[in-house]
Amino acid sequence: MDLEKLRETAAEVVARDDVKYLIGWKKGTFGYRVMPGFVEDAESAAELIFSPLCTANLATYLTLVEKPPLPRGQEPDKRKVAIMVKGCDSRAVTQLLMEKGIERENVVIIGCHCPGMVDPALLAEKYPEAEEPAEIKWSDDGFVLVRNGEETNLSRDEVLAEKCKLCRYPNPVVSDITLGEPVEPWEPAEDTGVAEVEGKDVDNRWEYWQEQFANCLRCYSCRNVCPLCYCEDCILDRLNPTWVYRSVNFSENTAFNLARAFHLAARCIECGECERVCPANIPLGKLNRKLAREVREKYGYEPGTDPEAEPFQAGYKPDDPEDFIM
Amino acid sequence: MSANQEPNIVAFLCNWCSYAGADLAGTSRIQYPHNIQVIRVMCTGRVNPLYVMNAFHQGADGVLVSGCHPGDCHYMEGNYHARRRMGLLKELLEFAGVDPRRFHMSWVSASEGHKWKEVVEKTVEDTKEAGPFEGFRRRQIDW
Repeated sequence: MDLEKLRETAAEVVARDDVKYLIGWKKGTFGYRVMPGFVEDAESAAELIFSPLCTANLATYLTLVEKPPLPRGQEPDKRKVAIMVKGCDSRAVTQLLMEKGIERENVVIIGCHCPGMVDPALLAEKYPEAEEPAEIKWSDDGFVLVRNGEETNLSRDEVLAEKCKLCRYPNPVVSDITLGEPVEPWEPAEDTGVAEVEGKDVDNRWEYWQEQFANCLRCYSCRNVCPLCYCEDCILDRLNPTWVYRSVNFSENTAFNLARAFHLAARCIECGECERVCPANIPLGKLNRKLAREVREKYGYEPGTDPEAEPFQAGYKPDDPEDFIM
Repeated sequence: MSANQEPNIVAFLCNWCSYAGADLAGTSRIQYPHNIQVIRVMCTGRVNPLYVMNAFHQGADGVLVSGCHPGDCHYMEGNYHARRRMGLLKELLEFAGVDPRRFHMSWVSASEGHKWKEVVEKTVEDTKEAGPFEGFRRRQIDW
């Protein structure tokens, strides 16, 4: 994508009277890091980038905004927030719009067609991070990495993030302004992670998750980074009733992880952020993707594709499957 | 708990059908296993999937959710909502490695005392086969 065009558009958008700020990606300070940029003027719009390292889902910041009580007589700032989205992020925004988490007239969505992102952790394993921020670009059949002044060609399969291998929506579902050329959606890979767990028998599955959940630190990063975890009153913070105790042991960890997975059932848009931020490398995405697949195959429902649709758990169809009911 | 001890089963029954059905089974002197702890809710649609998880968490070996047949809900559509949620919850529990024999759902109407007996027998039998559920039980903190 043409960066000049991107920065020009961003500067135009933030110059509008009805736009408060723009959320985009900008270059990090180290290695393969990219950080969110909050752009308020044309000068900082020149720092924006869109590269294969922009894996982060910025839709989180739409609902993370703190709303302190206003002094008497002061009007709330009702200007719009502009946000840059990839295909998966646009699904998060669509889901937020559907759930009335945000209002359509309060956002300006700048869609970026996404040819697939790199997994920074995977990349760092093969090509250790340099101190200088690295440059990385898309090429015809993969990526070009510029690190310490030398260019390396990377094949696509080598470093493509897992969520992108499974991606079915590389182009934004909803947007006001779109940048770049639409991408031809590729054939999603088979979800081997979920299939591997499904292949085990029940007791081994329990063992498997016991091993994984035993590492959970209960830092709640997965909750905080999730664009769709935005309840003001989260059950995890609630003390009466205490659904989940704060002690870090296997039984509480399981309760927390199952509750988190279920609260995202039929809402998760598979952006893979929970997995990316997890300091204990728990494959949380497997739980989400399993439920998403169930919902897609058995109920024919896909979250985050239509802002006018009915939320899954708030509706029903008379012919929903009921083969499990006695 | 040793394996031959009786299982603990928590049953969430809807007030209008299954609870009345269980009541009918009682007044008709139908004998069925006594492992069921009944929690009466106004509708199966009221059963938050967290309740089921919490029941396991607090020591249940099995959970049964029972309500009106589709179309008979006192609140018109509560059991349809429950059907979706519980179907999804069953998938999640199974994927997480909870034995599918521990979680059951059934439709029992107010006149089906005999069906209630069958449902309870099946649930108890399945839960017995699955054995005590120790893995997920909340660790009691002894202050």
